[in-house]
Amino acid sequence: MLGRGLGQFYPAESPVHRLDPRAKIVAAGAIVAGLFLVDSMAGFLVIGGAVVAALVVSRVPVGSFLRAMRPVLFILVITSLFQILFYRRGELIFGWGWIQVYTGGVELAAFLALRLALLISATTLLTATTSPLALADGLEDLLSPLSRLRFPAHELAMMMSIALRFIPTLSSEAEKVMKAQAARGAEFSEGGLLRRARALVPVLVPLTIGAFKRADELAEAMESRGYRGGAGRTRYRELRFRPPDAAVLALAVAAVAGGALV
Amino acid sequence: MRLELEDVHHVYAPGTRFEVPALRGVSLAVEPGEVLAVVGGTGSGKSTLAQHLNLLLKPTRGRLLVDGEDARGMKLGELRRRVGLVFQFPEAQLFESSVRRDVAFAPRRLGLGEDAVGERVRQALAELEISHLADRSPFSLSGGERRRAAIAGVLAMDPEVLVLDEPTAGLDPFARAELLGLVRRFRERGRSVVLISHDLDEVAEVADRVCVLERGRVRALGTPEEVFYANPALAPATVRVMAALGRAEAGRPVRFADTLQALKELLEG
Repeated sequence: MLGRGLGQFYPAESPVHRLDPRAKIVAAGAIVAGLFLVDSMAGFLVIGGAVVAALVVSRVPVGSFLRAMRPVLFILVITSLFQILFYRRGELIFGWGWIQVYTGGVELAAFLALRLALLISATTLLTATTSPLALADGLEDLLSPLSRLRFPAHELAMMMSIALRFIPTLSSEAEKVMKAQAARGAEFSEGGLLRRARALVPVLVPLTIGAFKRADELAEAMESRGYRGGAGRTRYRELRFRPPDAAVLALAVAAVAGGALV
Repeated sequence: MRLELEDVHHVYAPGTRFEVPALRGVSLAVEPGEVLAVVGGTGSGKSTLAQHLNLLLKPTRGRLLVDGEDARGMKLGELRRRVGLVFQFPEAQLFESSVRRDVAFAPRRLGLGEDAVGERVRQALAELEISHLADRSPFSLSGGERRRAAIAGVLAMDPEVLVLDEPTAGLDPFARAELLGLVRRFRERGRSVVLISHDLDEVAEVADRVCVLERGRVRALGTPEEVFYANPALAPATVRVMAALGRAEAGRPVRFADTLQALKELLEG
């Protein structure tokens, strides 16, 4: 019914939720960039500490936070495994036939896993504490200097918020069509990969047609209410950059600098 | 084939903060050869009930009996063939390049041979009077034609019970009358129809029994006369007129033709 996966917004009252989305986007961006500058355990600890502190303050329950990250766990495990198995520097610590584990591989795997985990945590925290609308508003504002170079900042933000808005609609539509085809004897969990992919055709065709129809209707509804793109548009929710936002930004930069230098 | 729901409860998203109880102990039988109408407001659980009749939704509590036996012991595919379910706005399920191929989807899934599939498709198209549209793309048809093509796609399974969820929603009066004709013909062949609707006037015309759902419970169940005359405020126009007249000697007509006859007799007498 409701997809609760990666990037899901978790509505709550917390200082982190109240921050200016621009501050949060830039802070998360700084941390993501910083993660690639860090190359020591101590550095990861500093940045990890900052992320965990933000998570605690945000009142997002750790359980649902981890659940939101679960889809990425698979990638995390696979990449680590590859490093452990195929990176052959340092000392041999385990050997059994073609499986040979070296200290260098384990070290690299740990770094990579930490880097990925922190990267995903930081971005998940951003989307968990910022509503899709606020996120789009913030992004639009941050990109607006580029609109002088004819970069469609407003349109991009509008597309993003529409896409996010229609994910639940599409998923409930998909559920409905799947049920209707199941009533006609369709089976979606039978057979090999190819058969399963073919079984989805009766779902994907109506879903695509529905999406196009909905897009047409939405465009018509927007135009009939006077929408003509970004030029000259004012906002109902004005973004305000206040002292706490500046403080958070400073803290994020400090954490990155600290992490990179340790 | 006799279907029976036994104390069926259904809860959506149990254990989460989105938990919604949709059915709260529904017991109801669909007798062979009857048209059972299920009426009720939006959110009363009508569509949830419909999806329990072929176990697209599993009861949270309670069970579905098919000819007296627990349906969980049956093969799902077999149950879904015998209980044909037509969803609300079924035209959203059309996907093939021609009406013929779309209607053939279900019989093909049953593993029938080419000849048998062709025969099923012919019959289903003829039943809905759209044989002339067989080679058209379903996406080039009008709304009413698409609706009929979609219903043919379920009829092609040759079901013993036909469950129609709001089949006339958004249709013009002519298309609506034709659809009610299909319901009657289906019953005449000794099969049963579950008609889910909130149009009481159409229910009055075809139903043998009426079940009123209210917030997931059966509020009333009986013949149209019993149910509608017990609560004339929530009844078809025919019953409202007769109840307002308050002439007991006219009897309790429900169908339009019967009501007209009763009124004529009153005027002449």
